[in-house]
Amino acid sequence: MTRHVMVADLRRCIGCQTCTAACKQANATPPGVQWRRVLDLEVGEYPNVRRVFVPTGCQHCADPPCEKVCPTTATRRRPDGIVEIRYDLCIGCSACMLACPYDARYKTERREYGFGEKPTEDEAMRADDSLLGVATKCNFCADTVDAGVARGLTPGEDPEATPACVNSCISGALVFGDIDDPKSGVSKLLDENKHFRMHEDLGTDPGFYYVWDQDLP
Amino acid sequence: MKARATPQVSNVPSYCYNCVAGPDLLTVKVVDGVATQILPNFAAADIHPGNGRICVRALGLIQKTYNPNRLRTPMKRTNPHKGRAEDPGFVPISWDEALDTIASRLIAVRALGLTDEAGLPRVAASFGHGGTPQSYMGTFPAFLSAWGPVDFSFGSGQGVKCVHSEHLYGEFWHRGFTVSADTVSSRYIVSFGANVEVSAGVCAVRRHADARVRGIKRVQIEPHLSVTAAASAEWVPIKPKTDAAFMFAMLHVLLHEHPRERLDVAFLRDRTASPYLVGPNGYYLREPQSRKPLIWDGGRSAAVPFDMAGAAAALEGNFTVEDCVEIGPDRTTWRHQRATGATAFTRLVEHMRPHSPEWAAPICDVPAATVRRVANEYLDNACVGETIEIGGSVLPLRPVAVVLGKTVNNGWGGYECCWARTMLAVLVGALEVPGGTLGSTTRLNKPLGNRLASVKPGEDGFMAANFNPTDRAHWAARPTGRNAHRTLVPLVGDSAWAQALGPTHLAWMFLKEVPNHWQRPSAPDVWFVFRSNPAISFWDSGRMVETMANMPFVVAFAYTFDETNHMADILLPEATDLEGMQLIRIGGTKFVEQYWEHQGVALRQPAVAPRGDARDFTWISTELARRCGILEPYNTAINRGAGCVPLKGSNYDFSLDPSRVHAVEEIWDAECKAATAQFSNGAESKDLAWFKQHGFYTVPYKRSDWYLYPAMVEKNLRFELPYQERLFKAGRELAHRLHEHDIHWWDAQLEEYAPLPLWDDVPARWERALRKMGGDPAAYPLWLITTKSMQYSAGNNVGIPLMNEVAGNMRGHGGVILNVVTAKHLGIRQGDPVEVRSMTGSTRGNAVLIEGIRPDTVVIIGQFDHWKTPYAKDLHYPSLNTVAPLSLDLTDSTGSGSDLVRVSVRASTQP
Repeated sequence: MTRHVMVADLRRCIGCQTCTAACKQANATPPGVQWRRVLDLEVGEYPNVRRVFVPTGCQHCADPPCEKVCPTTATRRRPDGIVEIRYDLCIGCSACMLACPYDARYKTERREYGFGEKPTEDEAMRADDSLLGVATKCNFCADTVDAGVARGLTPGEDPEATPACVNSCISGALVFGDIDDPKSGVSKLLDENKHFRMHEDLGTDPGFYYVWDQDLP
Repeated sequence: MKARATPQVSNVPSYCYNCVAGPDLLTVKVVDGVATQILPNFAAADIHPGNGRICVRALGLIQKTYNPNRLRTPMKRTNPHKGRAEDPGFVPISWDEALDTIASRLIAVRALGLTDEAGLPRVAASFGHGGTPQSYMGTFPAFLSAWGPVDFSFGSGQGVKCVHSEHLYGEFWHRGFTVSADTVSSRYIVSFGANVEVSAGVCAVRRHADARVRGIKRVQIEPHLSVTAAASAEWVPIKPKTDAAFMFAMLHVLLHEHPRERLDVAFLRDRTASPYLVGPNGYYLREPQSRKPLIWDGGRSAAVPFDMAGAAAALEGNFTVEDCVEIGPDRTTWRHQRATGATAFTRLVEHMRPHSPEWAAPICDVPAATVRRVANEYLDNACVGETIEIGGSVLPLRPVAVVLGKTVNNGWGGYECCWARTMLAVLVGALEVPGGTLGSTTRLNKPLGNRLASVKPGEDGFMAANFNPTDRAHWAARPTGRNAHRTLVPLVGDSAWAQALGPTHLAWMFLKEVPNHWQRPSAPDVWFVFRSNPAISFWDSGRMVETMANMPFVVAFAYTFDETNHMADILLPEATDLEGMQLIRIGGTKFVEQYWEHQGVALRQPAVAPRGDARDFTWISTELARRCGILEPYNTAINRGAGCVPLKGSNYDFSLDPSRVHAVEEIWDAECKAATAQFSNGAESKDLAWFKQHGFYTVPYKRSDWYLYPAMVEKNLRFELPYQERLFKAGRELAHRLHEHDIHWWDAQLEEYAPLPLWDDVPARWERALRKMGGDPAAYPLWLITTKSMQYSAGNNVGIPLMNEVAGNMRGHGGVILNVVTAKHLGIRQGDPVEVRSMTGSTRGNAVLIEGIRPDTVVIIGQFDHWKTPYAKDLHYPSLNTVAPLSLDLTDSTGSGSDLVRVSVRASTQP
């Protein structure tokens, strides 16, 4: 079996937001929509303070709450672990947005552009009205992954089979791959390091791991 | 349904060099002629220190290209009155009219003479961020070269926004225009405010991330918890501008609390001036005949010249020397029949004796135990005596480094900090060796950019220094540029970059008012501006704008309207990042953390057609040269290397015919062929067509060439530390010259020329300056500082919405950052609009309350407060620049100032 997962090595992440911007550009998302983003968090009281940067987005849960509440089966988990939304089935009811514990979903009702009312040439070319009025979120760049796999490429190793955020990551914090393959980069990274998953207690079995080796104040 | 044609997709290799931490090699995805994505050039992964990745700012280039606010045609001003409140009345004109207008002005200037009655160039030019505009201005440097004298005095932030003192002292001591840790080999880094995770680009981010996973410890010492502090093992909140006291205490611990053998005694003895004997007047004791500095030879029990073969140099002690001389300023000579000389090292030891951690603790507001622990950890990790093999050479391994950030290493206190940092490296032999503290490149010493070749023997066993003369016969009493770099700053020298590294704010200040006995400079007849917005990026921006309004003829290469080109007479829209063509050098060692194992060249090429009637910069330059009648010298300058590389070498010749106009592609085709021939020693030659497909060409660069130490050993030279006899002497001579001209307003700066830097309560300088302006420090109780963000390292992308959106994920972006407890005392809640007020102005933003900042400190990120730049002006973000005074009192001897202001903060009724 294959389960595609993401690992964010928090020892490496510095919150540069290159992944955020790369995701926006790869997926032509409108202003304010960030399928991938990096949180800037502070813990403790002066002077014993820590600040950490936490990439987040859809956690591609094995037991996704969003899938359970979807009345149209638009949200579904693929056999390879990617949780996707079939926009042609989504009715925009927003139940999934409420159900998601990770605040990972967005809905946009009208076209919006970086510079205001008028689209730039690239925005005009890439605007996709099928994404209006429906829930949207990170899909691990499934089109890229699928096209790469079809060409015999390995997601997480070959850029042409790898999500845009991972390709863009300058610190090497984001790693993608098949956790069911013990030789994959993600498997090795998790085997060798302490890690956690967000809201693991909710039992959603997220497919997004965080490598972190320190105690917080 | 109408079938959609298969889109035409191409991936066009190019580069982004919008900040000094570049260039990043990228590809532009172009669909049906429209640029849609910026991606890494994955082919560069193996040759680029950052794994071929690109920084977030590069992703803004799509919006930059299609920005609807771009200027698409040349424009001219129709309102002769200039000022912030004046509507320039810009109207579109043709390129012919624009270029003919400029050319006729330049021809008229040329007829008057290239310099004015005072000897100042009639043409001036200002370019932004650290020389990076050169990677976008095509062959314009050849135009400037062909023109003749050009005044680069008018800074766009140099001196106050760069690591200025480090530039000057770093190059002087170890050819380090910028200074970095050898991160890839280091184990312990002490960072005083060096925010490398946001300001040193992809290479630094990757190198440090790898180092953290490897187990490096970095201690970040600064008043607020920056991104770099977040990524460090420890954050030590220090009172602003007291870093030198912390470092002095570290030196004290190393010198007074550990056995001497813990230090690198051999390095100190053989590679520094530590054994040189210092006489009673503060100058080296010298042999009367040769005038060589003396050392004490323990074998002979006698003083001998420093280069005496077989001498057993004493590192420490006071020695009686018979028959010697001291040579002071203006060749004042003291002949001693018998004099006591202390070694420079002994002078250092005594100098540091009072500066214990207990002394530093109340100054820095850091516990003495912390200071002592950091010093001890530094020493424990120094690995004195260990070696490492790199590229077949066995080199010392000293995996400890100290790095400094802006505001620490410029302005008052910069000398002390740069010296103390370098001394911390010197004491354990960690200067310019693997793992230690390294320089990156040269800009003040020749050859430019080749630090190893710049290691040439000079006086007294040191590297040649490139000081501006201070003796009576050669001192430049009459400034040759409006910031008077040759007159006031001996250390900056007179290289091509020196003007821009003089006291650049003085050029602006002196246009408005001059101090006693100083001739008011003229405004330049023509001022060129490109990728520079000093009306925003300099201090006291309101006053800057008033001064700019007096510039008689301003030519701005303009992307959009902005606060500086608001004063322009002609606006020229150049084909920008994704539209123009240029070949630049890459690799080797460059600014900040650019340490490559390859070097070569990279091409920027038009991925898409220029918007509107924007034109390639090389075309503009050629046309200006032709219309000004300087085509031949312009082409000759290109042939000489002003475009990128010399077009003729020992085994290649792609020279252009100097007499005729050459098309843009013709010029860059020649550059491509010449560059590849040069880098391959004539073995191959790749043309423009090859570069359009491949993007870059590299050959290996030896990692051992990252380090200066082998060149110093090979040439048997010493680092000019710890004692600063040369600086001391230059300062005294400069004082004589200025006082001979009855100039006393530079006296405070002259005091900085101490042979061993003195702690002088640096923060108090700001309080004194405040009182002098009529203010009460108690009324301005907080220290306002600034910091960069990755998304806005320079200000040239403030008009790009994508940057603002993603920067919004980082705390403090666009706001005023305060400590939560301080805010509570002031009655300020999270998100409240606040006013930050100094003696000279005020700026407004929303409060961002955090724990990770000292209670006495306020931080405003980046440079905003725009009033003209489209998009940015509607953000209403605050800026330190609005409230920081341009002040002679807050200018150090190198001509730099620090981003630091005493302010008050209060809730504002205005949003």
